[in-house]
This record gives sequence, structure tokens and C-alpha cells, in this order.
Amino acid sequence: MNDNGQATILQVEQLNVYYDTFHAVRNVSFEVRAGEIFGLLGPNGAGKTSTLAAIEGLLQPRSGKIHVAGYDIAEKKKYARASMGVQLQATSFQPELLVPEIIQLYAGVYGVEMNKQKVDSILKEIELSSASSKRFGQLSGGQQQRVSLVIAMIHNPELVLLDEPTTGLDPQSRRQLWERMENMRSKKHGILVTTHSMEEAESVCDRIAIIDHGQIIAIDEPQRLIDLHRDDPKVISVSRRGRITLEDVFIGLTGKQIRS
Amino acid sequence: MQTKIPSTSNVMTTLLRADFITQWRNRRSVIMVLLVPVIIVISWKSLVARLGGPFVLSNCITVGLTAIGLMGYTNSIARDRDKGIFQRLRVAPVPSWSIMMSRLVVQLVMILLVTLGVFFAGYYFDKISMPMQGYSLAFICALVGGAVYLSLGQVIVGLIQNPETVSSTTRLVYFAFIMVGMFGELGVLGKEIGEIVKWSPYGAVKRIISDSLQPGAWNIHSSIALLVTFGYTMIFSVLGINWFKWNSR
Repeated sequence: MNDNGQATILQVEQLNVYYDTFHAVRNVSFEVRAGEIFGLLGPNGAGKTSTLAAIEGLLQPRSGKIHVAGYDIAEKKKYARASMGVQLQATSFQPELLVPEIIQLYAGVYGVEMNKQKVDSILKEIELSSASSKRFGQLSGGQQQRVSLVIAMIHNPELVLLDEPTTGLDPQSRRQLWERMENMRSKKHGILVTTHSMEEAESVCDRIAIIDHGQIIAIDEPQRLIDLHRDDPKVISVSRRGRITLEDVFIGLTGKQIRS
Repeated sequence: MQTKIPSTSNVMTTLLRADFITQWRNRRSVIMVLLVPVIIVISWKSLVARLGGPFVLSNCITVGLTAIGLMGYTNSIARDRDKGIFQRLRVAPVPSWSIMMSRLVVQLVMILLVTLGVFFAGYYFDKISMPMQGYSLAFICALVGGAVYLSLGQVIVGLIQNPETVSSTTRLVYFAFIMVGMFGELGVLGKEIGEIVKWSPYGAVKRIISDSLQPGAWNIHSSIALLVTFGYTMIFSVLGINWFKWNSR
């Protein structure tokens, strides 16, 4: 429980990740609470993916602690992983499998009972009943994201990790995804989302952390971040529309230089 | 919300089901892998009297094993790694070994199918008949020999990240193995090359299959070939597992 009486679903403390001698993540600490959408924002190469990989247990940090639903990822990896649902950036499903087969595969690896009726009802719920005979690669970007999201949620995890979920989506699909994320929040799931979209961060995130060069340089509610940096000369200098937006704050804090 | 850990047996069943479906949907390439050794058996009908049934059958099975290990397994691993399929599975509460084990089981079934196909074609078209004990032992030796090529494939995906480079490399290695192996065995490439081929992965595997088909002919050289086969598998497996990265990025 944190000071506000909300349960902490993800706790990251003093995380340090190295690639040989390169210090990719530097003393990163934050928490994601139940019923919260937490955004991790940063330019390319800022350390978002490395942080996420460490949370997923795919990468061994040099130091620091990560707890998912109370389980230490280093000591209780299986339990920590069973408590999180993950949507990766890449379309990471076997292209030969039909959509219901993919759902059944992931239900099986998360230990969820899944019969044909249940699969049909899931497909109906995400408005993909017509896709039951289609392969994943035959779906549109928005449809693929819906399937990915349903798989991330298939075992009703406490923590959901979404890695740039709206990249490449049209506005309708993006809005629909935001509604699904808000729906998950209302069911008390903790959601960690990485994104490049300031609109997304402003619209759906309860709190955001801006990460750059492996360090968290700001962490707060989107509107509070805007208010806090409204008078910062670096932020004012990059403002384009006469009013300060989250994007202005982001560019002001991380710089205008394009990252690879 | 409660944390539920799936049992390893359930995970394996689920992975196997998905991997077998994937293999079935790729049946065109499966048929190609099956067809090449079968076609060689049929086309070598006239050589059976001169070279002997075990020689012909073992050569064809070895060609099939090479194709399974170097082309089928290796390319599917390289592709799935590149697409992030392994990464997605690894963030689930499943042991990493179960992901690879499931793939290997599918390939072992393929090895049995190729062996069966060659035996059937040999019997039906070339009238090659071996004792039942020979057929049974040859199945076991085919599995042992297949492990050499699966582990060699693991070395290739360990060394090379890009799936297209993996594909072209495996084709090249496959072609080299088949050409040098087959012609070397027949003595076309000279005595020295013939001797090298004899103890190469091709020659050792071919020998154990050939000698197992006629159990009475098993001798010290067969046993050495079996040890050499195990040795290749061990070395390739250690290197392949150490060099393998689950993520291509």
C-alpha cells in the first residue's frame, strides 16, 4: 500500500542496467498502483525498453529491486511473470496460427482453461468474430492490437505492460484501445505503458515518468508536470502554439536533438 | 486476482500442439524435406546391387536428416526469434527449455517420418528388405544422427542473427555436406577427401545408420562412428546453446 491507500502492483527501486560498460538504466525508481495507468515516456534509446525488459525478467539488472504483485522478479520469476500481462511492440505470434489457436496457445501457457465457446465469446467481445478463421498476419493493425491486448489480459493479471500499443494505429483504433485501457484501470489493474505519443500520455495516463539517458528526469501527473514547467525557459523556447503542452515539457526537458 | 502457475506438462502440451499445427501449415516445406531423400532412393535403384541396400538407405536418410536439421529447424528458429515469438513466450511463466524442447520434439517426429519414408520407398521401389531388428536400430540411430544436425543448426543460429543470412548459410552448408558427403563416400573426390568424409558428421551418421541396418555387421568402426556422432552432438550443442541469443535485436 502507498500513502494514498492504493496497493502497489509494480515497485522498481534503484534499477541499474548495463550493456557491457554502457550504463543504460541509471538508478530508476517508480511504482505503478492498482487502478492506475502509468506512462513511461522517453526519446529513442532513453532506457524505456531496457527498463521494461528488466521488469519482464528478460534482462538481468546490475543492481536494484523489482517487485511485481509482491513477487521479487529475481527470486520468484515465475510468479512475477504469472502476475503480469505483456503486449510487446512486435507482432510476436506465429503467423501460421489462426487467431483462436493463438488465444488457446497463450491461455495454455498461462494455465487458463479455454474451450471453443470461451474463445468465441472473447472474439465477440473484441468484435473479431469474423476473424476466427484468419491468421494473425491477415488482420489489420487495429485488429492485431486487439488480439495482443486480449492475450495480455487472458489470465487476468494484476500488472499489464503495454509497449507502444498505439504505434501505427488509426485514430478510431487508438481511441478504442484507450477505452480498453481505461476499462482495465476501472477493474483495478495496474498498467505500465511506454509511448511516444504525448496525446496518449495526456489523455489516458494518471501519472507519467520522463526518462532520458537512462534516468528519470520527471515523474508526476501530466497536468502537474505542465504546471510545474510552464515557466521553464527551455520549455517556453520550444513551445509552438502559444500554450504549453506536455510535448513542450517533454522536448524542453529532453532536448530537441533527434535520437537514433 | 490470483497468481496461477501452469504445470509444466500443460505448458508442454500446449506448446507441442501449436508447434505441430505450425509444422502442418508449413507442409509444403515438410513435403520437400521428405521428397528429396525418397527421390534419391528411387533414382538409385540401379545402384542397389552394386552399393548394397544399407549404403543406399543410410545415404538417403542422412540427406533427410541434414535437411531437417539445417533447413527446417534452423530457419524456423531464426525466423521466430526475429519476429519476437520467443520473447513473447518467454515473458510468460514457462521454462525457457520447454519452448526449445517442443520445437525439438517436432523435429524428432520429422526424423522418424523421413526414415520411415526412405524405408518404405526402398522396400517398394528398390526391393530393399532388411531384418526387423535392423529397421528398429536404424530408427534409433537416425534419431541420434539427427541430433548432430539439429545441434549444428543451433550453432548456426547462435552465430548468425539475421534470418536471411541464416537461410543462405544453411543452404550453403547443406549443399556442401550433401555434395562432399555423397561424392566423397563414393570415392569420386579422391582417397584423402574420402577419409575425411568418413569421419565427418555426414560420414559418421551415415555409417551408424548403415551398420545398424545390418546388426551382424556392427564392428569396432561402427562403435567409433557412434562415439564420434555423440562427440559432434556434444560439441555443437555446447557451442550452440552458449552462443544462442533469444532476441535478435
